[in-house]
Amino acid sequence: MKAKKAKFYFGGIHPHDRKALSACAATETLPLPEILAISTQQSLGKPAEPVVAAGQCVKEGEIIARANGPVSSDVFASASGTVTEIKEETGANGSKETFIFIKTDGNGEKAFFPPLSSPSAEEIKERIKNCGIVGLGGAGFPTAVKVAPRTPVDTLIINGAECEPYLTCDYRLMLEKTDETVRGARYIAKALGVDNIIIGIEANNPDCIAAFEKNDIQPVILKRKYPMGGEKQLIYVTTGRKVGIGKLPADVGAVVQNVATCFAVCEAVELGKPLYERIITVSGKAIKSPKNLWVKVGTQIKDIINFCGGENFTPKKVVQGGPMTGVALGSYDHYTHKTTSGILLMTADEAAAEEPTPCLNCGKCADVCPMRLMPMNTAFYASAGDMDAAAKYGNTAACIECGACEYICPAKRPLIQAIRKTKAYLRDKNKRGDK
Amino acid sequence: MDNTVVISTPPHVKSKRTTRRIMIDVVIALIPCAVMGIVYFGWRAAVTEIVSVLSCVASEFVYFFIANKGFSNKCANAAAVCKRWLKQFDFSSVVTGVILAMVLPSEVPWYAVLLGGIFAIALVKMLFGGTGKNLVAPSTAARVFMFLSFSAVMTSYSEPILGAIFPAEDLIQSSATSLSGLLNIKSEIYSQPTALMNVLDLFLGTGVAGCIGETSKAAIILGYIYLVARNVIKWWQPVLYLVVFGFFAVFMSGFGYLAGGSGYKFDMALFLPHIFSGGVAFASVFMFTDYVTSPKGAAAQAVFLVTAAVLTAVLRYFTGMEVVSFIVLLMNLLVPLFDKYLMRKPFGYKKQKKQKEAKQ
Repeated sequence: MKAKKAKFYFGGIHPHDRKALSACAATETLPLPEILAISTQQSLGKPAEPVVAAGQCVKEGEIIARANGPVSSDVFASASGTVTEIKEETGANGSKETFIFIKTDGNGEKAFFPPLSSPSAEEIKERIKNCGIVGLGGAGFPTAVKVAPRTPVDTLIINGAECEPYLTCDYRLMLEKTDETVRGARYIAKALGVDNIIIGIEANNPDCIAAFEKNDIQPVILKRKYPMGGEKQLIYVTTGRKVGIGKLPADVGAVVQNVATCFAVCEAVELGKPLYERIITVSGKAIKSPKNLWVKVGTQIKDIINFCGGENFTPKKVVQGGPMTGVALGSYDHYTHKTTSGILLMTADEAAAEEPTPCLNCGKCADVCPMRLMPMNTAFYASAGDMDAAAKYGNTAACIECGACEYICPAKRPLIQAIRKTKAYLRDKNKRGDK
Repeated sequence: MDNTVVISTPPHVKSKRTTRRIMIDVVIALIPCAVMGIVYFGWRAAVTEIVSVLSCVASEFVYFFIANKGFSNKCANAAAVCKRWLKQFDFSSVVTGVILAMVLPSEVPWYAVLLGGIFAIALVKMLFGGTGKNLVAPSTAARVFMFLSFSAVMTSYSEPILGAIFPAEDLIQSSATSLSGLLNIKSEIYSQPTALMNVLDLFLGTGVAGCIGETSKAAIILGYIYLVARNVIKWWQPVLYLVVFGFFAVFMSGFGYLAGGSGYKFDMALFLPHIFSGGVAFASVFMFTDYVTSPKGAAAQAVFLVTAAVLTAVLRYFTGMEVVSFIVLLMNLLVPLFDKYLMRKPFGYKKQKKQKEAKQ
């Protein structure tokens, strides 16, 4: 279908995208690492319950931890081998996670589900659940929950807007696996019972747009701006619908899925392959050769860095994920997750590490906010300790934590930190149930 | 990897723009005004500008030196304190100094300028917490302070070196005299009634008696273009203020016609003379757009500017004085109200509200 232009969206920022570092690197497969450490916390919600014991042999794609609760997902062995131990360790974001360590044997024995040909909606939903598929855009929301919305939906929006700087994993996937992605999108559409499939792609990827124009889904050219790939932003620019605060996309009849998720669904349906592998962009000026790699979940970051030639310069920041929302790492000893989209080694020239100066009230944070919030108010009241005022005058509850405010801030205020603090306070308050 | 990596919350990339860079941009935008001030008013203008900037920067330094903890220790290692001060120096006091000089007549003695600079920085800015914490614009507050303390010299505007291209005598005398009455601007404020002047003269500032930086509208527009191009201010802010002010001033002048016995008249010929006279053009670009003392969010800013414009026009009509700096001070104090009651609604807010009503 011929590509359409997206609606105008206010705010947003134009960071230096530096995608050229890795955009031309065709995907490669990382050699099988000796040790894999697979976290049971692979999605939002509760961590999965391990169903294997130390010493047990597992095959590639075998379930090793089972979903615990409705918003949780199964975890699978990324390679065949022996479970050496199950222990708690500090994860990349600083919280405790349970890791299942597997010593790989390189047999490549697989334990997949049977492939489905022309599956029904129910079969697809079942398969998505069984294969432990989660949203690969970053949040890690279980896809099985998303394809069973409580309200009727009429549109499936595929998120091909890789608006984060540096990251090119979705771009490479869209180029190299166009047909699989489209088929995956159709499976999801079938599971949802919708006909209308839209894919949003940023204007700086004309080759991707051209590739998708050959299919019968509707490409929409998004303006190059961060955060156009935000769920609420994407729904608005492609369909003109506004998702209310605290509402889900399904409340306006739309479901958003990342392109990588579509590809995972396609493999799950056609090959019966559970989700234990994904493309990760390894980039930044401090890495010798930036690459896009197929990496198994649970690979140690050290192995990935070594495969990419190691450090070029001393990195100032090591980021897991995109530079706008990712987690800064303190060492290479961490392990990848299903949601890890990038490993970035940033030099002092690229990474921001300035000392904050006093707020000027310039309002630039509010100008760029894609949710029309008042980040400066949140920061002001939060630093004074008045969390209720911070939430009220900053409208913090609606924040999507895209980081645009802190990016633009000339005083380099730690706005996201203040927002997260306020949100944590609100969560605690809701838990306590007081007013 | 050694242990020099930084761990922080995202985002890990940030824009290159800093507070210091913004302040330097404002100083650059003020250069045309400062230069034209020297061209029109001679060496006295240059003295005022230099004294004003030095006084502001020096007061900031002295305040920084004294007010921080461990004063006696600091005297011992003054070099280290100077280094620290330089590190945090963000040019905001330079901006204050230049703006203060721009809004003073060139005849003001140097000691008055010095006092004004100290008042602006020490009392208005630093006492309230420094950059970003001041309640009112330091330069405007200092101007009002000087206006009240040295009213004689603050209201005697000297003639510029460059005379008018179209002297007032050439204009048709009858209509001109009636206009001066209508504008109701006293001659001691403007030694030449502004309505008597040609619009081109008002625009260039040739032959216009006034403050150092306020007379040349051409220079102000250059500064405006630079600030907009550098994305320091929003293009519509000065435009909105001046257009609303212009129309309202024309509307108020109509009452002047009425009082003069010729009946109410909405005379658009007065539009440009109004916005080109006095300090409104300068204030619209450099004072009402001040970050610290203006509301946040486009809607609040728009209402703020419209209110300021209407108040300026009304007060100018009734007092017959240049009241812009008083209006700036007044509006600065009202900023928290605008911030509180005109806070914008987040994306998707309306929808939620509607659904709530439907449920009820």
